[in-house]
Amino acid sequence: MTTYIIKRVLLMIPTLLMIALIIFLVLNLAPGRPGQTQVSADGMQSSESTEARESYRIFKEQFNFDKPILLNTRFNLTEADVRSRLEMRVKFNKPVCPDTGEKPEGCVPVDQKPNSADVIKAVEEVEDWGAYIVPELVAIAADEQADLLLRKLAVVNLAANAQLRLKSQYGRKPTPEEREYNDNAQKENELLRSWRPSNEMPAEEFNKLVKENWIPWLEKNKQRFEYSGGDKVSIFFTDTRFAKYMYNLARLDFGVSHVDKKPVLDTIGGKLKYSISLSLLSILLAYMISVPLGVWSAYRQGTRADQTVTLILFMLYSLPSFFIAVVVLELFTVGTPFKWFPTGGFGDAGADTMTTLEQLKSITWHLVLPLLCMTYRGLASLSRYARTGVLDVIRADYIRTARAKGLGEPMVVIKHAVRNGMIPILTLLGSLLPVLIGGSVIIEVIFNIPGMGLYLFESILARDYNAIMAVLLISSLLTLVGLLVSDLSYAVVDPRISFD
Amino acid sequence: MATDSDKQTSGSLLPKDYKTYGEIVWEQFKKYKLSYWSLWGVAALFVLAIFAPILSLNVPFYISIPEGTGPANLAGVSFPWFKALFDVNFFESGVDIFFNSLIFTVPVVLAAWFFISPRWKKAMIKDKYKVYRTNFWLASSVVVLIAALIVYMVQFSQPYVDYQSISKMDGVSSIYPLLEFSYRDVDLSSVGVSPNGVHWLGTDDRGRDVFTRMLYGTRISLTIGILAVAIYTAIGMVLGSIGGFFGGRVDLVVLRLIEVMLCFPSFFLILTLRGFVENASVFHIMIIIGVTGWTGIARLVRGEFLRLRRQDFVQAAIALGYTRTRIIFRHVLPNALGPVLVSATFGVAGAIILEASLAFLGLGPTTAPSWGQILTVGRQTKLWALILAPGFAIFVTVSLLNLVGEGVRDALDPKMRR
Repeated sequence: MTTYIIKRVLLMIPTLLMIALIIFLVLNLAPGRPGQTQVSADGMQSSESTEARESYRIFKEQFNFDKPILLNTRFNLTEADVRSRLEMRVKFNKPVCPDTGEKPEGCVPVDQKPNSADVIKAVEEVEDWGAYIVPELVAIAADEQADLLLRKLAVVNLAANAQLRLKSQYGRKPTPEEREYNDNAQKENELLRSWRPSNEMPAEEFNKLVKENWIPWLEKNKQRFEYSGGDKVSIFFTDTRFAKYMYNLARLDFGVSHVDKKPVLDTIGGKLKYSISLSLLSILLAYMISVPLGVWSAYRQGTRADQTVTLILFMLYSLPSFFIAVVVLELFTVGTPFKWFPTGGFGDAGADTMTTLEQLKSITWHLVLPLLCMTYRGLASLSRYARTGVLDVIRADYIRTARAKGLGEPMVVIKHAVRNGMIPILTLLGSLLPVLIGGSVIIEVIFNIPGMGLYLFESILARDYNAIMAVLLISSLLTLVGLLVSDLSYAVVDPRISFD
Repeated sequence: MATDSDKQTSGSLLPKDYKTYGEIVWEQFKKYKLSYWSLWGVAALFVLAIFAPILSLNVPFYISIPEGTGPANLAGVSFPWFKALFDVNFFESGVDIFFNSLIFTVPVVLAAWFFISPRWKKAMIKDKYKVYRTNFWLASSVVVLIAALIVYMVQFSQPYVDYQSISKMDGVSSIYPLLEFSYRDVDLSSVGVSPNGVHWLGTDDRGRDVFTRMLYGTRISLTIGILAVAIYTAIGMVLGSIGGFFGGRVDLVVLRLIEVMLCFPSFFLILTLRGFVENASVFHIMIIIGVTGWTGIARLVRGEFLRLRRQDFVQAAIALGYTRTRIIFRHVLPNALGPVLVSATFGVAGAIILEASLAFLGLGPTTAPSWGQILTVGRQTKLWALILAPGFAIFVTVSLLNLVGEGVRDALDPKMRR
């Protein structure tokens, strides 16, 4: 048995890795980005927009959204790549040539005007390329033949892209050495930011700025932007979203939520108790009711009572749980006609001041309706399986033998019929678990229970990547554990099954 | 089971009361009265879905506008209902255009069938008649689908005309469908009306007629239910047969894949996928349900393949040197279809509930009149008609499908033969 469990637990690791991969791909290949602020392409150099862009850039950096998804080839970017992106943005900000009359200087013909979606993409790309394009940006800035606006834009981007990354900025506390490094980096970044040209800066002054500040700075820091073959290989594979994600997972670091900036693992830990207690209670309740019901109905096979129960169970199975939930909520909580139960939540607000008994009572009171809505469908299918299971064994020889040797009917039913008839419905436990965990979303949303389902739902609406990934991974892990438990339970019920 | 080519060559050698496997199953199925009648119930749902515009649409079948009344270009007799059916401004979803084209093609096909089949029956021997019958239905489904596709591809549209106010003018005579509502036209003058003679189920928070929305919602539910299951059945059958037939390492990969998919709480995965599609259409929803639901079918087909692969008729086919494709598609797969059919029937019921759940959470198709969406509005506005009507509709549809599924399961089970 122990070896079997160890084997199964070890097998979970590759499965979980696959799951992590799938979740990663689903989230990252989907269109759209989280927390994307309304990026407007115009007003390119106003200080306000520069600051907004800076905070969005930091956000992307924090959550690794500035990195390519699977493989990084950014060390191969050329000056032409960068220039084309910058030119697009410069063109976008210039006036369109009028059809008739005098054409203002530097106007753009209508058919050459880029559309805003392309411009936004170009802006993001230049931002995301980060330090990889610093030499190229300096080269563009130093190119005196080029358009002044283009060169200024290059320097504005340079001031952002050339900044040093701080160490352990997000997450755990930095060590003293790291803090020292960060302080120096902060100072350097401050300096770089101060070399940003203003909109009105005349050409001579701008040339001076580039020649006196940026070019010497690049000379000094040249080694930062030169990549050897080994560097390139390591960047190719490791400086990507996927590598960072897997590295963080390996340290059990699920990151922080975009929404409340708290570690998602802590948040989920707090919510898990609600979801697990709800699912476990629901499973327990379903089995506790369905097994006796199935046995009862199997022993009255063909009678009116059996037919009625079967019909009711069938109808229950076809009723969607959100419908029942809305109906009971309307009937029993708002006071038309009854006001017996609270409308939602997991317990009363002042739970800390109550005694344990009062707390228990309050929780029970809150849980009656959600549990009812969560349980009845599982209950319906389980009872039908239980009935068939008992019907299968009820005519077996060993039941007749048990009766013949004079055992009382309760003993025959409980020890011989039920125990054997229940093996098939134990196999259902494994498939019931993911359904229950998944189905809890609707119940938690309707009854406002702060569990995993509600959290996932809210995270999806807010596109909170880290939270979604963590919830999916943890719920899959729970399912895997549940499947293992259900497999082990066969051995407990059926002595013929052993894992050794 | 005999394949088609066997049937044709050896038809005359078979005993007179010879029945194909399909016929035996159908006869058995008919003995389960409740399931049999449920099948007719499902058919009735389809009829409702197809002919919904005859019951409710805010465009007249026929309108006659005298000279000098209303817009000049509309003067005279016209039949705007027929044009509106294929108007993409009016029915923006491909699902609606498809069902609207069925209004015309289905009666034609049925009429052709009732005209031809007695003649064929008289003129032909039984086996030949069966082949003709199969070919007729295959050909007519293809024609119907192509007709729907052409209608959709044309993207016909015309300028909007407010026929309802024109009809109220003097001297204008018109014939309308039973109810004069559209499922999407907002009418803020009648918000939250309780059920009455005009609005049979009342109106919702934007003054749209609930009965009309329920009626058109049937189209959405049935389409998503059936196509989503078709998608995942296809995926499951391909993966399952690959794993089961080739075995070994291929099987291991397929099994791993199934196991991984099985570990996701499927509704979580569906929600996540849906969350990342902006402005989801009916087709997005069915694809999302389709790509997440295939594990059951794949396991089933894999199991059947493993079982059938060892059987003599497959061994014989291998010995005869048939190609792998032929063995898989003509010998093994037809025999594995029974359990798949049962699972798919229950699957349609499940997919309908899934779609309604998504719509209930506000993550359904954005513009379509889905049952789940009506229920959400009912929950927000506390209008009982809006809660009970969709709940009841889902309940009836799902029950009918589940009953059909039970009948099919029992009919396929040799132990249950009556």
